[in-house]
Amino acid sequence: MNRLAATCVALGLFMHSGIGWCQSENLAPGFSGLPKDAKVAVMPLDIEIFSISAGGVFEPRADWTEAATRNFKSALQKRKGQLGLNTVEVPEKDADELVELNSLHGAVARSIEMHHFGAGALQLPTKAGKLDWSLGESTRAIKQATGADYAIFAWVRDSHASDERKAAMVAIALLSLGRVVQHGGLQTAYASLVELDTGRVLWFGRLRRESGNLKESDEDAGETLDTLFRTFPQAK
Amino acid sequence: MNRRAFLRAGCCGGLASISPHAFADDPWQVPPRFSRPDAASDEGGLWALMDRQETRLRRSPFNLDAPELRAYVQGIVCQLAREHCPDVRVYLMRVPNFNANMAPNGMMQVWSGLLLRMDNEAQLAAVLGHEIGHYMERHSLEGLRAAKSSSAIGQFMGLFGVVGLVGQFGLVAGTFSYSRDHERDADRIGAQLMHEAGYDVSEASKVWTNLSLELRANPDASAPNPLFASHPGREEREATLAELAARYKGGETRETLWQQKTAPFIRGWLADEIKRGRPEQSIALLTRVATRSSGAADYLYARGEVYRLRAGEGDLDLALTDFGKAIALGSEPPETHRALGMIYRARKRGADARASFERYLQLAPQAPDALMIRSYIEELSA
Amino acid sequence: MRLILALAMAVGIAGCATRTQVLKVEPGEQVVGDRLAIKVDGPWNHISTTLLAPAQAWTMEGFPIDQLLIYSGVKDGEPVHPIASGTGGKSFNFRSNMQPDEIVAMFEGALTRDGSTFKLAKLEPSGFGGAKGLRFEYAIVRKIDNVQLSGVGFAAVDSGELFAMLYSAPRITFFPRHQQRVEEIAKTAKVRARPAGS
Repeated sequence: MNRLAATCVALGLFMHSGIGWCQSENLAPGFSGLPKDAKVAVMPLDIEIFSISAGGVFEPRADWTEAATRNFKSALQKRKGQLGLNTVEVPEKDADELVELNSLHGAVARSIEMHHFGAGALQLPTKAGKLDWSLGESTRAIKQATGADYAIFAWVRDSHASDERKAAMVAIALLSLGRVVQHGGLQTAYASLVELDTGRVLWFGRLRRESGNLKESDEDAGETLDTLFRTFPQAK
Repeated sequence: MNRRAFLRAGCCGGLASISPHAFADDPWQVPPRFSRPDAASDEGGLWALMDRQETRLRRSPFNLDAPELRAYVQGIVCQLAREHCPDVRVYLMRVPNFNANMAPNGMMQVWSGLLLRMDNEAQLAAVLGHEIGHYMERHSLEGLRAAKSSSAIGQFMGLFGVVGLVGQFGLVAGTFSYSRDHERDADRIGAQLMHEAGYDVSEASKVWTNLSLELRANPDASAPNPLFASHPGREEREATLAELAARYKGGETRETLWQQKTAPFIRGWLADEIKRGRPEQSIALLTRVATRSSGAADYLYARGEVYRLRAGEGDLDLALTDFGKAIALGSEPPETHRALGMIYRARKRGADARASFERYLQLAPQAPDALMIRSYIEELSA
Repeated sequence: MRLILALAMAVGIAGCATRTQVLKVEPGEQVVGDRLAIKVDGPWNHISTTLLAPAQAWTMEGFPIDQLLIYSGVKDGEPVHPIASGTGGKSFNFRSNMQPDEIVAMFEGALTRDGSTFKLAKLEPSGFGGAKGLRFEYAIVRKIDNVQLSGVGFAAVDSGELFAMLYSAPRITFFPRHQQRVEEIAKTAKVRARPAGS
């Protein structure tokens, strides 16, 4: 966490404050919440769940990904009201055209995670500690397709040790007398709220942990969603 | 005695000893169209999975953007699949390896590396007919139901996955394969579908013979070959297909139409093949296809380029010979002259280099490197 | 393996975060390596790490988005990309007698080691660093995430050593946003004579 944000936390001014210099690290400068009833397009979710083989190879698991996508969507539907979102779907016929933007968002999200939130060593001096990323006017295509003024993107990668992997991990832990602890799986999720006229990332939520089980049920997906959207500002 | 044992008993006496009546006791009928299963059933869940993979195929930047070619291949598939025609959707992907597969929900993907290697429509029909055979007999579903663990299901899905996924290539080979019986059945059905659509079934075994040629050229025979995404048991299949050719006589290759439809893409696919960086296999492939009745100049240029880039002992001279042959045929790609120019320049044959570069610019004034080649000419003139 | 690298990129350069840091590049003259001097009109971010050797890596928006790779004094026989231990892939090494098209083919090979595709859009002679060199434009489809990139590169050989700059960024928004500044930097590049006695 950068020093500004750390100071804000210490002063108990972590979230929802409109004071410029105490802006939460999850919010772009000057943004504190959506106008009431703002239309928000929900972009096709970019989710991929992997199985980790005994040899440590990540294998994409389409069945887990399918389940996770369904669960996440259902959880988002249920929580729209809580988040104060007036959502609109991206029509299927437009989703094909917008796939490049969705991929681009994935790269932007990973950059924000790496350089804004990641180990402090990777902060970019030119960003001056602010959440200051923009996809530019390219996002107007989403506005045209949906009539929305904002969009939510989500990028989720999750991995789970296969049974063989779990057995191998136990063996390695035993043999190393507990000194070598391998990952059983890593859940990484990012979500952004983007202003479609300018492409500005207004809010960025993140989640990085060893647990979480999107593929099992929509309660689990709901828990992931709640954690991911914990820092989402209330509508004004 | 079951049919298989009968065949085994007959096989070693040569083809003549195989009675065509070996197949007569199973006349095979095309099954009726499949209906979409209930979403809540196991099979329905699988179907939804496939639909999602299909969306990714459709949206992938590796999707070959060629509506006419796609329509043409879709037409071939339609003919082969008969009543199932409305249920099959073809996706052509720009991947320089040999692969085609069909998922239980009717989505079929064909890679450009396979298209390059087909000499005619009949050979493509053989491969696609085989895949349609798996589809009509629901082999993949049987395999899935029999799958002991859910990780097998995941791996199976990977077979039909999108090229763009990380690590996909290494995973496709060897994690899931149809049983020998299923492969044999698919060959049998594929041959029947081919024959009924008017194709010459004897082209089917050529597909595998041709591929074997390339694989034998691999200097590291022990390493898994990324050229092959699936389909083990080649030698056995060559034999089965030869038997089937003896049974189903007649039919066309439709070579001319195939060459006409693929002509606009050959140069791009050849460039991809060269970039694979497997010179021995490329040389084996290009030597074979240079005997095709059309496009020889393109194949000779490509082989020359492989030699030029490999630049081993004697390679530059081999390259010069190939470029010369391509030019003699009169339809050489402009790059032939550029490549000649590079060799002449390296050998300090200034006048020849200049002439070749000039010819390249004449034939391809809008080439991306036109300005650079122009500067080479100026240097050589100084 | 590649996904592990990609995940490592996403969560921070694994294992080396303590040695890697990002330095601010102030406007003015910068010297890269011993011999390449460039002038910068505004701030950039320099990701200081040995992981990307022999290139020095700069970025405006972050490494997963845009990358300015600067090569100063790559010697004959040296690779232009990091050697990942144990992967056994092909190595793309510079040779002092390379022609411009061979230099581009070398960078193409280095940039497509991960399965990405590369398409050359333009190759032209261009002074770089005060020496006779080349400028090229390219398009990449990145394998790990399907992002489509545009790129521009500059290179020249001086005293048998390679000097180059390659800038890649998504073709939507980011490449157009920063391309001009990269072109300006390339114009100011000067290769200095090898220090005496070295």
